[in-house]
Amino acid sequence: MSVMKNWHIWMLLVFVVASFLAIGMRDYPYGREGVKIAYVAKESPAFGILKQGMTITALDGKAVLDANAWKSMSLANGTVKLTADGKNYDFTVNTTLGIDAVDMDRTNVELGLDLQGGTRIVLRPKTNATPETVQQIISILQTRANLYGLKEINFYPVTGIGESYVQIEAAGVGSDVVDDLLSKQGTFYSLINKSAPIKGNTASLRIGDSYYNITFGNGTINAGSGEIQPGGKFTLQDVEFRYVSATNKTVELLAKVFDNDDIELVYTDPQQSGITPQGKVFFFHFTVLVSRQGSERFAALTKGMDAYLDMASGEEYLTGKLYLYLDDEQVSDLNVGSSLRGQVISTPSIQGSRETRDAATKEMLSMQTVLRSGALPVGLETVSVDVISPRLGSTFFESTAYAAALAAIIVVALVLIRYRSLKVAIPLIFISFSEVLIIVGVAASNDSKIWISALAINALIVGLAYWKKEHVDTSGVMGAFLVPLVGLIAWTIDLAAIAGVVAIIGTGVNHQIIIADETIVKTEEEKKKKTYFFKDHIKRAFFIIFGSAATTLAAMAPLIILGIGMIRGFAITALVGTLIGILVTRPAYAGIIETVMSKK
Amino acid sequence: MDLPIKNYKMLIVVPIALMVISVAILSMHYMQTGDWFNRSFELTGGTLITVETKQVPEIDMVENALSAYKVSVRTLTGFGGGKLLIQAEASADSEAIIAALASAGIDTSVSSVQMIGPALSESFWIQAQIAMAVAFILMGVVVFVLFRDLVPSGYVMLCAFFDIVVTMALMQVFGIELSLASLGGLIMLLDYSVDTDILLTTRCLRGTGTFGERWRSSVKTGLTMSATALGAMLALYISGLSPVISEIAAVLILGLCADVILTWVQNSILLKVHMERKGLL
Repeated sequence: MSVMKNWHIWMLLVFVVASFLAIGMRDYPYGREGVKIAYVAKESPAFGILKQGMTITALDGKAVLDANAWKSMSLANGTVKLTADGKNYDFTVNTTLGIDAVDMDRTNVELGLDLQGGTRIVLRPKTNATPETVQQIISILQTRANLYGLKEINFYPVTGIGESYVQIEAAGVGSDVVDDLLSKQGTFYSLINKSAPIKGNTASLRIGDSYYNITFGNGTINAGSGEIQPGGKFTLQDVEFRYVSATNKTVELLAKVFDNDDIELVYTDPQQSGITPQGKVFFFHFTVLVSRQGSERFAALTKGMDAYLDMASGEEYLTGKLYLYLDDEQVSDLNVGSSLRGQVISTPSIQGSRETRDAATKEMLSMQTVLRSGALPVGLETVSVDVISPRLGSTFFESTAYAAALAAIIVVALVLIRYRSLKVAIPLIFISFSEVLIIVGVAASNDSKIWISALAINALIVGLAYWKKEHVDTSGVMGAFLVPLVGLIAWTIDLAAIAGVVAIIGTGVNHQIIIADETIVKTEEEKKKKTYFFKDHIKRAFFIIFGSAATTLAAMAPLIILGIGMIRGFAITALVGTLIGILVTRPAYAGIIETVMSKK
Repeated sequence: MDLPIKNYKMLIVVPIALMVISVAILSMHYMQTGDWFNRSFELTGGTLITVETKQVPEIDMVENALSAYKVSVRTLTGFGGGKLLIQAEASADSEAIIAALASAGIDTSVSSVQMIGPALSESFWIQAQIAMAVAFILMGVVVFVLFRDLVPSGYVMLCAFFDIVVTMALMQVFGIELSLASLGGLIMLLDYSVDTDILLTTRCLRGTGTFGERWRSSVKTGLTMSATALGAMLALYISGLSPVISEIAAVLILGLCADVILTWVQNSILLKVHMERKGLL
């Protein structure tokens, strides 16, 4: 009987070929040569035009071969012609294009951060959050990341014991950007100074055309709702006031003018936002559209407010300054021109200054982003940060190849010593390597066409086997249909997943030894009767194999359900690997051994 | 033909002694530190800085360079260079530590920083214990379903439990901390351990020939399995691919050695006694 008569082996070959294709077959719509954009800096002339993930193929007519070449090519001056995603762009460059690029992906396997470099941050809601709240947080963070131009950034909810976390993974982005932008709750509000002049025993607070009496004494004030200490709050006419201090002449208050709910639009176009150098600092400004309620509140609070003449600028400002707060930290304070007094202003401008243009741009962008995405339902704190530099992974694959070769040599040597037969050892190594290949192929992404084709071919093989009246076992049929379907899902290959592969290959070799052993060694009874019942032997081998696979599944299941972040990849890989093992590769190995035995 | 040694029942003292010593090691650690074993930074909170180097510097030199910080330094060598592992508290200033390394002449261009706060690590630790317990119970259920007999299934799980305890004690002796990686190793070990025990129990309960023959055939198979697994783990360990892989390999090397004694001595004896009592032999 030839090896190729066994349909399990045909199926294994289908899986090997499909995995090869799933890993290596990629579309190169713009040719095989080029680089992938990882990050477009804010200062870049291409900012807002070119996006993360686009492919740059040529610069000034010269082909861009790889990321190293790009590094020197992107330093240029004057006008450059750049080809990205097949389209031509002209940019005026000052020293550098400001585009970071990486080599194009050559496989469909998504590598974990620990292999390709990047940042992983785990944030914890400051107060207990339900899974729904975590989902809400993630969608707001996603919006922020998109607004900031960070496309390849992944958010995952992670559940601990009674606690929920948000895990953020960003390839090729520094931790400062991620942390700065994403851990901010984004609670925005602005306060304005408001003085209530004292007449006799009471102070008089003006809101619009109404006046309210405030009594005071013993360091506290009373606006009709009870005694209030300094720092305390009270509400009048839907406006929240904070009591600051009292002098002989006035009671000093801060009134909330706007908060997140009042911001309806944030303008980011160059006419209404930008950076202007002024003296030694850089001012940023951008306009926001405020709700009707908010602008009327501003009008009411500034009505009748005193003004003063600023000697330095010669402008007249209201005595009440406007303070902007983000997450309870003051981000800027603005003078309000006296002409705005009592006016319904719907498009106020937010301003601030930083010492460098870079810092001003960053601050402006970060504020715009946070205002546009809205506030998170709860604040977040950083509980874990992993920063892995990209080159950490580069030597890894070479070393892995050596390690795999070394392990294979040791295993072959031991199996040869035990069974003195290459016919046992060679298939064992072939099966083990195809198992690795299939696991990685199943983990690969963008491979649905390949796996659906594999499914169709398998159906054909099973049909043929049935027609030829060969033994068609349930587990083999399950393997034919289930494994290609599992192939449709994709997960990241990280160190933990590699450990999972190691575990699977280890048990895989063990199981193959059991198959070889059970089938090669004849029982005493068979020796006496000079007969051999292959089916009995294989049955007992598979009893042990299925039993042990069931225990593996039992061991890995709790690891998947409990979301210990890093262990999860290990468990998923081990689970899928076990499935591939018992349904596809072990039966194939048994098929090979059966042929070998029947030849004896 | 019977077991190779006449007074084989006496051999049960070997696994018992192994277990007693292991429990003693763990208890001593408990009395000294209030914890049964050393947990890694992932399970207690801390910062790990990994620097990839072509040539691994002397630990003394690195410790001198970092004398201003509360750190512990380890190294890992393998194919394609080595790694310098610096562990510090969660609140440590990793950038300052890397800068200090750089000024001591160490190339820090390829480095990674992993920080984990005490709250998250505590949650990991609780999850890890639950995962371990649930995995153990589920495996026990599967083994019972396989053999439909409480006694041999119990022996399989007892052997697996002893295996974990002995390996944890060996980890203390060899200075391997309990981390997420070594935990993965322990779960893999649980799996391997149960595998050899299922092999032994299946062959002994369902095989043909005398008990000695059945035992001998399963020892041959089982030792081949353990030897190939040990060989592969040894290959991974000396390759020094990454701390994660090395730790898993180290745990399995220790655990597989313990498993050889626990399966082929302890479980064999228990199984034979059980079969004799039940009149199966």
